[in-house]
Amino acid sequence: MIINASNVNQVVTSSEGELSILKNVNISIKHGESVAIIGTSGSGKTTLLSLLAGLDTATSGEISLDGKNLGKLDEDGRASLRNELIGFVFQSFQLLPTLTALENVMLPLELVGDAKAKQAASELLARVGLAHRLSHLPKQLSGGEQQRVALARAFVTNPTILFADEPTGNLDSKTGRDVIDLLFELNQENNTTLVLVTHDLRLAERCQRTIQLEEGRVVV
Amino acid sequence: MSYFKLALRLLWRDARSGELTILLMALIIAVTSSTAISLFSDRLQGTMNQQAADFMAADLLITSPTKVANAWLEKAQQLNLKAANGAEFSTMLIENDQLLLSSLKAVSQHYPLRGYLKTRQADYQDEQKVYSGPKVGKVWVGQRVLTSLNLSIGEPLQVGELSLTISRILSYEPDKSGTFYSLSPRVMIHTDDLVKTAILQAGSRVQYLFQFSGEEAAIKQFSAWLDGKLSPSQRLLDVHDNRPEIGAALERAERYLGLSSILVILIAGVAIAMAARRYTERHFNATAILRCLGCQQNQVLSLYGIQILVVGLVGSSIGCLLGWFAQYGLFYLLADLLPSTIASASLLALIIGFITGLVTLLGFALPPLLRLKKVSPLRVLRRELEPLSSSAWLVYGLAASIIAGMVWYFTQDLILSLIIIGVGFVTLSVLAGLIIVILIAVKRFLPRLNLSWRLGVQELVREPKANVGQILAFSITLLAMLLSFTVRNDLLKDWQNQLPVNAANYFAINIFPEQVADLRLLFKQKDIPTGEFYPVVRGRLISVNDQLAKQIVTKDSVGERSIQRDLSLTWSSRLPEGNEIIAGNWQAVQSSHQVSIEQELAESLNASVGDKLGFTIRQKDFTAVISSIRKVQWDNMKPNFYLIFSSGTLDSYPSTFITSFYLSEKNKPALNQLLKEYPSMTVLEVEMLLKQFEKILAQLTQAIDYLLLFALLAGISVLFASIYASLDARVHTGALLRTLGANRKLLKKSQFIEFATLGFIASLLAIIAKELISYFLYQHVFHLSYQANYWVWLVMPVMVSISLGFAGMRGLKRVITSSPVQVLRDL
Repeated sequence: MIINASNVNQVVTSSEGELSILKNVNISIKHGESVAIIGTSGSGKTTLLSLLAGLDTATSGEISLDGKNLGKLDEDGRASLRNELIGFVFQSFQLLPTLTALENVMLPLELVGDAKAKQAASELLARVGLAHRLSHLPKQLSGGEQQRVALARAFVTNPTILFADEPTGNLDSKTGRDVIDLLFELNQENNTTLVLVTHDLRLAERCQRTIQLEEGRVVV
Repeated sequence: MSYFKLALRLLWRDARSGELTILLMALIIAVTSSTAISLFSDRLQGTMNQQAADFMAADLLITSPTKVANAWLEKAQQLNLKAANGAEFSTMLIENDQLLLSSLKAVSQHYPLRGYLKTRQADYQDEQKVYSGPKVGKVWVGQRVLTSLNLSIGEPLQVGELSLTISRILSYEPDKSGTFYSLSPRVMIHTDDLVKTAILQAGSRVQYLFQFSGEEAAIKQFSAWLDGKLSPSQRLLDVHDNRPEIGAALERAERYLGLSSILVILIAGVAIAMAARRYTERHFNATAILRCLGCQQNQVLSLYGIQILVVGLVGSSIGCLLGWFAQYGLFYLLADLLPSTIASASLLALIIGFITGLVTLLGFALPPLLRLKKVSPLRVLRRELEPLSSSAWLVYGLAASIIAGMVWYFTQDLILSLIIIGVGFVTLSVLAGLIIVILIAVKRFLPRLNLSWRLGVQELVREPKANVGQILAFSITLLAMLLSFTVRNDLLKDWQNQLPVNAANYFAINIFPEQVADLRLLFKQKDIPTGEFYPVVRGRLISVNDQLAKQIVTKDSVGERSIQRDLSLTWSSRLPEGNEIIAGNWQAVQSSHQVSIEQELAESLNASVGDKLGFTIRQKDFTAVISSIRKVQWDNMKPNFYLIFSSGTLDSYPSTFITSFYLSEKNKPALNQLLKEYPSMTVLEVEMLLKQFEKILAQLTQAIDYLLLFALLAGISVLFASIYASLDARVHTGALLRTLGANRKLLKKSQFIEFATLGFIASLLAIIAKELISYFLYQHVFHLSYQANYWVWLVMPVMVSISLGFAGMRGLKRVITSSPVQVLRDL
């Protein structure tokens, strides 16, 4: 198993007292598998994704990625793991606004001092159909183009796992379909494990498996 | 390397978008002012170091109130040292019914041993370098002597009882220091003529100069031989360890300029902190993305640290360059107090200015920057997550440490530094508290205001703490400028205006004992009201209860100033007018070796009734016991004394007498007769002294004002930092208002009102603080009654409000010009 979560609970403190976001979640995902996490708004999907990706730590339970227990790593340790294993695609694209498309895609490789960052980034941007937009800033790109840049950035490190959080949430339906097609193509080419958070059931159906969350619990 | 390139790339993009402009501007202002000061001080010190020999006109100089022992001169001769001697003192000149207080210098054959003089043989002729002084029977004078006394070259000049021929105009003298008396025009004669003038007698106030030059080894040997032989009143100056000083006024100028530049750094630091905070907050999202992509916490800090460092290097470099030009302004404003030739600056001065910039940046930008380390990668999914603010201890502690360090650097005195820091802290705290109170009070009035006022003032009072920095920056700068203006323009005039109508307007010194009775008679005959005649012996205070006084006194205190020079010591059986006994017993002063001491001097020396004070006069030591402490009314235009001895204590020393008198305009011709009959007497005209003092004060305060301009610029950078920090929210609010129907005129008006109100509050506080401080100074320090300047109450708030109103409008232009549709779409 590439991803393992056992007895995971997530509790947050708010002004109304303690709030249980996730309750006793158990998940296992195989290498190369594509999994959709679905549920209504407030069901805990994004929280689960953030825990699985090592962006946050669980209140209790154990999560491991590629055999490494996230709970035993400090923040920097999880950061290293993210760079090594994970690619991200977000609903709001999350590109650095002052960097060009090329520079945004180069970023994960530059952070580890890869000398071939530029070449790899150029190739990937060409792959996603943006060879003519390398020097454009995010504000000069359409939503679909920005998401394609984000896809290129996510795949430039040849990640083992790709986490995508509502990747078409800010796109119109046609652009969204194009982006999703591209996502699955790249996923297949790289044999990446895909964890996709979505409330769109049609999108979820394109994945091999679906995990449904309801009020913080996995619905069997 | 790719990491560094990434940091530079991010920096370049941010710089192009204007993110770092405010931070850079504030840093440049801080570095410009501190570099200007650093260069100014460095060049002065360099002048003293390099040209020490020229400034002494010798390799070694001894100054003494009396002639030195012959054995010293014989020793110098044995060591094959060349010697010259002279004397310097004030004397009155009277020609063509004009009077002039001059500074007379008698020089011997070999003067100057080092350096040269510059003279002209006629008006408007070229200057010539000369390597010896005037010959016997001749006199050289400064240009001002000729113009003030309506004289020309070739005409006679009466100096005391001797008539000498003016042969040259003296335009440059190497060893004319920047002391007060150097502002009197120079008269130079040969030492052989000095005795014939009959001006000097035992007890006269004179400084003798003994100059030596020769091989370095011989000079060192002579200097070592003299060690232990000099009395406290004598000074030895050489080119290495005991260089001549730049002068008390200039030394003080250096210190106050340094402290003014700290004000600039403090205000600029506030702008840097605000800009850095804004910069880091705008990078929370980017940092979260970087953390998501695998960037570790320290890597984040390095990435932004490199950027801030590069900004620091660029800002400090530009600031150093501007500071280089700015220093010339200081030299121009203080020209009269400075030597004519100034050394070039050393690289060290520039380095100090450069490092000041980096340290300021570090101190004020580091706390906000550290927040970036704490940005959670989860922020990519949860925008509301913000890293905790830096600890207040870190924020204020770092900034306070830097400011405290700089204060100590400029004062070089721990106690004075603590006082300045303490007073500064209290002042800032009180003002900040008042600002918050005013803003809260204004908030209560909001509902009663019309729309444009409500919109404007609301921005100001919404977050009182956030606006304190802006208002405080302007208040402090305006306060400093107002106080400087008051000191320069009002203080002396107010003091003069409060003197009684017939208060003495002349002082006469160097009156010999045998002249007193006749002078009293002459004054009476001429109907010239005079005060008491007091005997004076020049002596130096050296110890308190056998402990050296210099170990007791603090820097810049009355005590320090009193032990660094010879004091005028007197004796009297009656308590002088304007003196009040506050401790001890005046009657006790009747026993021998008792002394009555002035209150402030006693406090500065930690001395009380019964303590023993040690003195030296003409190399003879003696002690006296404090029998009483007096409060003295210093400004009663009568001779006043720090120390009054009992009769019999100082009898064995030669003395002169001092008095003061009132001379009306119609009686002025009587002065000519007086001076002709008593040529050894020196008469000081109070008005002329005040004019000279006013001139020095004007120059010092103008130099300080020059630096305060930088503080004002720093204040403006604080204003723009604040505007920029809130710009996004304001643009959003502006778009909403315009969508709802508000026109541009309304928005512009509310912007103007907001910043005009800020300016009004700042100037109001500055005026109130200035009135309180001035009141305190006038009543309790100068003992004058204070009259507020009402025109300042009117003019300043109006000027400042209008200026800041327009500045604010300019800064918020984007709020008016941004398209509402675009803004709302971008949300």
